[in-house]
Amino acid sequence: MSYRPVCKSDEIREKSMKMFKVDHTEVLVGRLNGRLFACNNSCPHRGASLVKGELKGDNVVCWMHGYEYNVFTGKLENMKSWKKENTWMEQSSEWRRSGDLTLYPIMEKEGNVYVCL
Amino acid sequence: MIYHSIALFVLFRIIYAINKNLNPEKNSTSKEANPFMRYIALAYMSNPQSPKGAVPNVVALEVLRKNGIDIDKLIKLITAGVGAEFTTYYYYTILRMHCTGLEGEGIKEIVEDARIEDRNHFEAMVPRLYELGGALPRDIRKFADQAGCPDAYLPDNWEDINSILKVLLEAEQCAIRSWGEVCDMTTGKDPRTYDIAQRIMQEEVEHEAWFIELLSKRPSGHFRRKFVGQSPHTGDQGSLIHL
Repeated sequence: MSYRPVCKSDEIREKSMKMFKVDHTEVLVGRLNGRLFACNNSCPHRGASLVKGELKGDNVVCWMHGYEYNVFTGKLENMKSWKKENTWMEQSSEWRRSGDLTLYPIMEKEGNVYVCL
Repeated sequence: MIYHSIALFVLFRIIYAINKNLNPEKNSTSKEANPFMRYIALAYMSNPQSPKGAVPNVVALEVLRKNGIDIDKLIKLITAGVGAEFTTYYYYTILRMHCTGLEGEGIKEIVEDARIEDRNHFEAMVPRLYELGGALPRDIRKFADQAGCPDAYLPDNWEDINSILKVLLEAEQCAIRSWGEVCDMTTGKDPRTYDIAQRIMQEEVEHEAWFIELLSKRPSGHFRRKFVGQSPHTGDQGSLIHL
């Protein structure tokens, strides 16, 4: 395990995220409130590409089902639904089940961003 | 007696060869292992759902890996996608049954087109799932639980036809997202999967347009299929489709 360069610091602006491929792994890198985060680009729920989602507070919102994960803790925070209810509570518990985001250590040094897979 | 002895000798020889190929590090002469026995050994260790086992080197998969495709992830996305099509087919059956009265009669056949075409999507993609080394879950409950889209439940106020249309629209929109992921992942890398997924996408996009038109009166190009479940884009895809 070692840190790999992924991009220049100024490529990751405040409240934005980008996907990079590092050793065949899709890594989502973003910045919120000045803090960088890095996680696997696959949504833990159904594998959708998280870079297509949006940032809301400290969460990334998956575009497929609206699941929200905290990008700093990796925890599932909300199961927003674009269906008739506010959440997916009417769905079976097995369908709703989701793991947490896979987070990667990230650091910024001399104008470059590095992640550790 | 002689035949029994020969049979026993052959059996022990096969077991020895399998063991040798399964544990090459224990055998100093592993470089001399018979390639065919290696095949047998790999088959022996393979997917329990497949009695004949996996072929050691599938070139069609090797090509995908070289193109940068994460095959395990693709299998998961496809399994979720076909799960959504299959469960949608089931739930659309219930929704169609509840298209009643004068208003319901007006949309019943459109729902039927979407219902059969969604089943066709399942049929079109499942063979590809197996080609990629995936499989349908042995238990249909597990299959439904890992579907890419939520269950399209009959709404409580189903007598309001708009409530049924909203469920139909949401199901189609979810399917577009689901197959969109597969298309994005395979474009320029896995032409076979991409071709099937984009055909499914085309019909899902049409279904969305139908239901948007019915809900909002937004004009659309929809007229009628030549026959129920025509599937103009996926109709000739997959060995399982019977029209």
